[in-house]
Amino acid sequence: MLQKILLCCVLLPPALHAQGAAVSASNPGISLIGDIRGTYTDDLPRKFDFLFNEAELSLLSSIDPYARADVYIGWSRDDDGEYISSLEEAYLTTLSLPMDLRMKAGRFRLSVGRLNTVHPHALPFTDVPRSSETFFGEEGLIDDGISVSWLVPNQLGFYQELIIEASAVPAESPLFRRPESGRYLYLAHLKNFLELSDNSTLELGLTGLTGPNQDLKTTSIGGIDLTYKWKPLQFNRYKSVTWQTEVFLSEFGEAAGGSVRSLGLYSFLTYQLGERWFATGRFDYADLPRSAGVVLRGYTATLGWYATEFQKIEIGGTLQSGTTTPDRTEITLRWIFVIGAHGAHQY
Amino acid sequence: MVSRILNILFISTIASLAFTPASPLRAGDRLRVVTSLPTLKSIVALVGGEKVEVSAIATGYQNPHFVDPKPSFIMKLSRADMFVTTGLDLEIGWAPSLIQSSRNSKIQMGGDGYVDASRGVPLLQVPTSTDRAQGDIHVYGNPHYWLDPIRGKQIARNVFEALVKLSAENREYFEANLNRFDSEIDTRTAAWEKALAPLDGVPIIAYHNEWPYLEERFKFVVTDFLEPKPGIPPTPSQLVKVISEVRAKKIPVIITSPYFTTDAAELVTRQTGARLAVLAPSVEAFEGVDSYYDLFDYNVKVLLEALNSPPSN
Repeated sequence: MLQKILLCCVLLPPALHAQGAAVSASNPGISLIGDIRGTYTDDLPRKFDFLFNEAELSLLSSIDPYARADVYIGWSRDDDGEYISSLEEAYLTTLSLPMDLRMKAGRFRLSVGRLNTVHPHALPFTDVPRSSETFFGEEGLIDDGISVSWLVPNQLGFYQELIIEASAVPAESPLFRRPESGRYLYLAHLKNFLELSDNSTLELGLTGLTGPNQDLKTTSIGGIDLTYKWKPLQFNRYKSVTWQTEVFLSEFGEAAGGSVRSLGLYSFLTYQLGERWFATGRFDYADLPRSAGVVLRGYTATLGWYATEFQKIEIGGTLQSGTTTPDRTEITLRWIFVIGAHGAHQY
Repeated sequence: MVSRILNILFISTIASLAFTPASPLRAGDRLRVVTSLPTLKSIVALVGGEKVEVSAIATGYQNPHFVDPKPSFIMKLSRADMFVTTGLDLEIGWAPSLIQSSRNSKIQMGGDGYVDASRGVPLLQVPTSTDRAQGDIHVYGNPHYWLDPIRGKQIARNVFEALVKLSAENREYFEANLNRFDSEIDTRTAAWEKALAPLDGVPIIAYHNEWPYLEERFKFVVTDFLEPKPGIPPTPSQLVKVISEVRAKKIPVIITSPYFTTDAAELVTRQTGARLAVLAPSVEAFEGVDSYYDLFDYNVKVLLEALNSPPSN
């Protein structure tokens, strides 16, 4: 939950603050996030493009003392220039299960590593890593199911959370396919979070997931994510460094027997240059799943200017090379804005 | 490899469970209280005394708007009997998500252990209309109310009522502490007001709009801010405007907080001779500011030093 942009309150309409406070507290937190972008891609016939890439409406609220609801509806442009709507996420989360348990049910971003749980507009780059795209799809692995999270009690003094999920299997995903038979996707994620000092933290996550694929066989994926952050408590608005790496290994069972193994990874470093400026460099590597020996590499640099908590402008450039595909250069300028409820800060 | 990762996941979970205590640790009979800010922690400690074990999430030198919601705070909150928040959306970017992730029904909003310290506190700067074009405006009013010691008495009363609800058998003990706190505040506030009498009506520039309660209590007048709008970093045009204002009105002091860089404030002081005072916005902002009483002792001292020192240029 903390890795997402969650929205917690409603800004009051003009002149209604006094009487409106109690009323607004019972309304959902409503916000709209817009993603406007201009792109240059050197190997497309239409090299320059400009688009309102996506609008995302979120409605978030406690339902009663026992649960809260989070709903995200998106509108994005398809290849014909038409805008199509989709239910990106819609789920209930319990607030007070015993034994440090928390349950989530509905449609949600699966707990695969770190990046998959973050909405794309909150990422410090304008695209997703090649490994994420080829393993889980451009939008990430989103599915309908149930998630149970347990805050593991341990005396070692660090935060540990175990998440077990079962879902219906995405209808469209590079490595999974919902079958007609009763097979499901199962996932386990163990999150370990350590405070190295007041100013630095380390998160180590382990993920395993398995489910049916397009060949009516099984795909299994194991992954490790590692995130180091340095952010001085006193001047946390001015300086920070984040280094994040995820590695995934997939095994795709083929109809003809046997299996194809693929490796995917990315690693990025974000350095905060000043109160409003962030620079990020990222390296991607991905064996194309189901295509042994076909490799994609990407080198990405992004510069971001965060005007306020509610608006940012980023320019990102990516050089992509592949063993069987021509090199590609992409440059994207995106302008993200949020209106409505105040979002939770991300950690 | 995949099965190896799954094995590691399984084994590390089992290993951590092996260290799991049979039941959650209890701090004797003491109530476990977590506060958002160290100032609230100090007031809880003064009212709750030895019947509470209290800790704060933020440090005193951290900007309370922008505390990072580290997952490690969830552990602390999952075992808390009570959570005390400043309220008024001051901590909206981090406290609600931590509370919801704590899986602790006692401290969810509306639970007996959820305490909004602002309840009943007379507020300043409650806007009649809000629009983000005005900057980071707080729709319920300015949330830095703990910087008036007399309003601190209402915070203490809110804490007292919550403690009694959770531990009625200690009512007399808490009540005695509350009365002692109120009496100390009354006595000390009179002394602080007397010490700061030279500040009566004196114009002051502040970095951020976080001092209206201190200003009202001690009667100085904040005439402008280094931020052009709340939450927007100082701009060259705003600094030019402030420099002219400082010169025209002979403003003697610029006040700021330890979590803002001092570049802009120092530029103004160099140009004008005004003195810079880095005040404590919270308990534990500086060494020696260990209690709610220390907070005002420190700020009175720093303000007087700034007022009485020679021009800085």
